[in-house]
Amino acid sequence: MDSSFLPAGADNGSAGGANNGGGAAQQAPPIREQDRLMPIANVIRIMRRVLPAHAKISDDAKETIQECVSEYISFITGEANERCQREQRKTITAEDVLWAMSRLGFDDYVEPLSVYLHRYREFEGEARGVGLAPAPPRGDHHHHHHSVPPSMLNKSRGPGSGAVMLPHHHHHDMHASMYGGAVPPPPHHGFLMPHPQGGHYLPYPYEPTSYGGEHALASGYYGGAAYAPGNNGGSGDGSGGSASHAPPGGSGGGFDHPHTFAYK
Amino acid sequence: MRQARPYSGIFCGGVSARTGPHALPLARIKKIMKRSAGEAAAAADGGARMISGEAPVVFSKACELFVAELTRRAWAATLDGKRRTVHREDVATAVHNTDLFDFLVDVVTADTAGGTGGGGHDGNGAL
Repeated sequence: MDSSFLPAGADNGSAGGANNGGGAAQQAPPIREQDRLMPIANVIRIMRRVLPAHAKISDDAKETIQECVSEYISFITGEANERCQREQRKTITAEDVLWAMSRLGFDDYVEPLSVYLHRYREFEGEARGVGLAPAPPRGDHHHHHHSVPPSMLNKSRGPGSGAVMLPHHHHHDMHASMYGGAVPPPPHHGFLMPHPQGGHYLPYPYEPTSYGGEHALASGYYGGAAYAPGNNGGSGDGSGGSASHAPPGGSGGGFDHPHTFAYK
Repeated sequence: MRQARPYSGIFCGGVSARTGPHALPLARIKKIMKRSAGEAAAAADGGARMISGEAPVVFSKACELFVAELTRRAWAATLDGKRRTVHREDVATAVHNTDLFDFLVDVVTADTAGGTGGGGHDGNGAL
């Protein structure tokens, strides 16, 4: 309970906003530990990506990094929120987040994130153009990507793009329903890109060394997930994440690896 | 198409169907943002702050970059100590040595003062 106020206080202080330490203590509802931090499995996977193979990570270091990530999100969000207040807007947009990062010293992040956001919007436009049927949102759970029937999953695995688009679209709808439809539709709603895009359509290698690792890892894990749908039915986010990622699906990874290297 | 070449680049951060193409769950990011922005907004103008659907997407990638950078600096501190295991102290050293991470000083200091916290339970950090 006490630890949940530390990031809020630090965030408000560093962001230069109103000092509401006492107010925060009274207004903030009790927050579950699970909801306060990012899933540790995801954090560890990112750490492993940049560490040598022989490196070990102690449990207390993992927990500290978890805390730092939540603090980072609160820190940037506080600055973005302050900008929204000055301009009397009620919605924090992606541009506000990028602006806050630049203002708080994370200039090096803005360019790769702008590229990432641009590609996300292109994908959103195409996903809407394809006309995927959105799954009904469920309020009591936040991750239902595996609720897709196996037949649908198998059918969508044929075209690689279809397999990836389906859970993403579902996620977007879920967010809209969670926040009373306040999420505005992407500006590229009508933008539809043809499936056979140019062969030289390559993302910017802003992290050339880690990019290959990310790609290989993504292919391997996605193969595993595709072969074991519905494995994370009732478990929590943390343990669910661990369960779904523990079996990397050797055959899937082996199948995907040639494509990965061919792509590079 | 058999090869997902045009799309695979978009999901360089993707790792599983569970989180879609993003390495970190968007719903969790949104909750943290909602709590952080909600408190400040409620204190300032009493209005609830809304969050665009694209903001957590940006954070999903940003947190990857952040964790990667913090981990690299912590590993440098581990090597200075002639060790192969990253400890909490290495993260604290990385935070103190980097101006960009000044906002994390309270986080790593509170953790250190509280000793080995069980399940992330921190002591009463003085603010």
